[in-house]
Amino acid sequence: MEGPRRSEQPRFLPSDLGRHAILLVLAFVSLFPLILTVSTAFKTEQDVRVNPFGLFSSFSMENLVTAWTVGDFGDYVLNTFILSVPSTVLVVVISIMAGYAFARLPFPGRTVVFYLVVLGLLVPFFTYMIPLYFQLQGMGLLNTLPGVILVLTTTGLAFGTIFMRAFFSELPPELEQAARIDGASELQIFTRVMLPLVTPGAGALAVFTFLQNWNNLLVPLLYLPGGDFRPLTMGLYVFLGGRGIDIGPLAAGTLITILPVIVLFIVLQRQVTRGILAGAVKG
Amino acid sequence: MASTDSGPAVTRRAQARLGIALVAPAAILVLLFFILPLANAMYFAVIRFDGVNPNPPFVGLANFTQMLGDPVVWRALGNNAIWIAIGTAAPLLMGLVIALLLWNVGRGSLWYRVAFFIPFILPGVAIGVVWGWIYDPIRGWLNEVLRMVGLGEATTGWLGNPDTALYAVIATAVWASVGFAIVVFLAALQSVDADLIDAATIDGAGAVQRTRHVVLPQIMPIFLMVATVTLIGGFSVFDIIFVMTGGGPAGATEVLGTYAYSNAFQFNRISYGTALALLITILAVPFTIGLNRLQRRMSLYRTGA
Repeated sequence: MEGPRRSEQPRFLPSDLGRHAILLVLAFVSLFPLILTVSTAFKTEQDVRVNPFGLFSSFSMENLVTAWTVGDFGDYVLNTFILSVPSTVLVVVISIMAGYAFARLPFPGRTVVFYLVVLGLLVPFFTYMIPLYFQLQGMGLLNTLPGVILVLTTTGLAFGTIFMRAFFSELPPELEQAARIDGASELQIFTRVMLPLVTPGAGALAVFTFLQNWNNLLVPLLYLPGGDFRPLTMGLYVFLGGRGIDIGPLAAGTLITILPVIVLFIVLQRQVTRGILAGAVKG
Repeated sequence: MASTDSGPAVTRRAQARLGIALVAPAAILVLLFFILPLANAMYFAVIRFDGVNPNPPFVGLANFTQMLGDPVVWRALGNNAIWIAIGTAAPLLMGLVIALLLWNVGRGSLWYRVAFFIPFILPGVAIGVVWGWIYDPIRGWLNEVLRMVGLGEATTGWLGNPDTALYAVIATAVWASVGFAIVVFLAALQSVDADLIDAATIDGAGAVQRTRHVVLPQIMPIFLMVATVTLIGGFSVFDIIFVMTGGGPAGATEVLGTYAYSNAFQFNRISYGTALALLITILAVPFTIGLNRLQRRMSLYRTGA
């Protein structure tokens, strides 16, 4: 029933029952805001007015319908994908390329460029968000899809490059030497020999980056002030400011915003945790 | 690093060509959308730019000297300090305790981990919305629970009361970040030497002693790593305050990040806002480097031992 190493493991509480009791209470506290969101999102309009936070006291879909249609959350979902998917693809592709070069290809200026990229992990975004606003304005990229996608991509590159570089560094040099003797070009060594070996890492990076982009509020809020392509996070923020009293649709909008994140996490939780652990340990 | 044995010159030239080609997209994006605005930030900090004037005057360090006499800056710094102290210590301690509880729990371990980790992956806006309801002055759950346990006098409008707002937001941030600490600590605990713990048990060490003297030293480098990450996060805290209180009520939750934002985007004091944002980065650097050194030394010590 229990693992073979179980017997030699230390016990920190006299009984496993007590341990589970404490953990269950803590897990409930951890998930309570989520439970509250689901409960309020599915209330009837009348119930929301009288008893907005009472748990599961009524059931209706009207809040979800209101949020999706009147609250424009249907559009926001689409916009979130339009912003998150291209920037995630770009981060993964560009990070793989740069990570490989930094790990395995000697070229002039490598150290300097590497430090410039890594600096991105030390400097928080809001240090340069204000000048970036005026820069984008000057470049004609403010309020445009390419502008926001490129900024989102760049914010993910520091982590992505270091992450992929670590995977490429671990591969044995014999692999490329053997391929070289077989007459493979440097490009072929990269695309046919090394690249297939880091797909698990690239997958973890993709999931992790997608979550980051999905959750990003500040980049679209600052650089899409015109209101086009408004993603979920920004839509929720604007809704909170303008119609924050409409608790029912607000709960439904919150649910629409977080549900994909949670589903993605539960389905791909190994990749997510791996990305975060690697990022934490190597970063 | 590979490539100390780079072989013939032809290979080396081909490698350099490919290397430059592969790094080019990353280098161009980083230069354009990170290095350039960062350099501009330094320039903005020594001029007085209102966002309109095409020829802003050079003012030297005036933006920084202005901070010294700005009471909001001092208040924000104080709030940052409180945030850093509680926001770093609480997730570390709670994360460690929960990770120890979860360690080798066997059944249900995966589900506990998912439950604790979910808050960490949620967008800040959504977190702000829901915790706003929990702190609701009239029907919020926090007040309901307090009334239930007979602490009705302690009820308040948690985010509207200047005395409680900062701590209410910090509590939310702790809730959102403790899962990260738990997952990282659990991963570290997997590599703890079980024989040492058994030996300590045989020697008569209790659970607390075993944790302090056997388990903790072994996960110390990871502990410091999480401390570094959360500490730096404490300096640059912005999102969650921005969403929950916007720095209010009456500046009670103002931190350097929110104050920089409102200066730049609400009061058109672009340069002052940028200088404030730079200040945070400058303050965070010594801590980052110091903790990083310490962590590296401990990791080296451990692998050397």
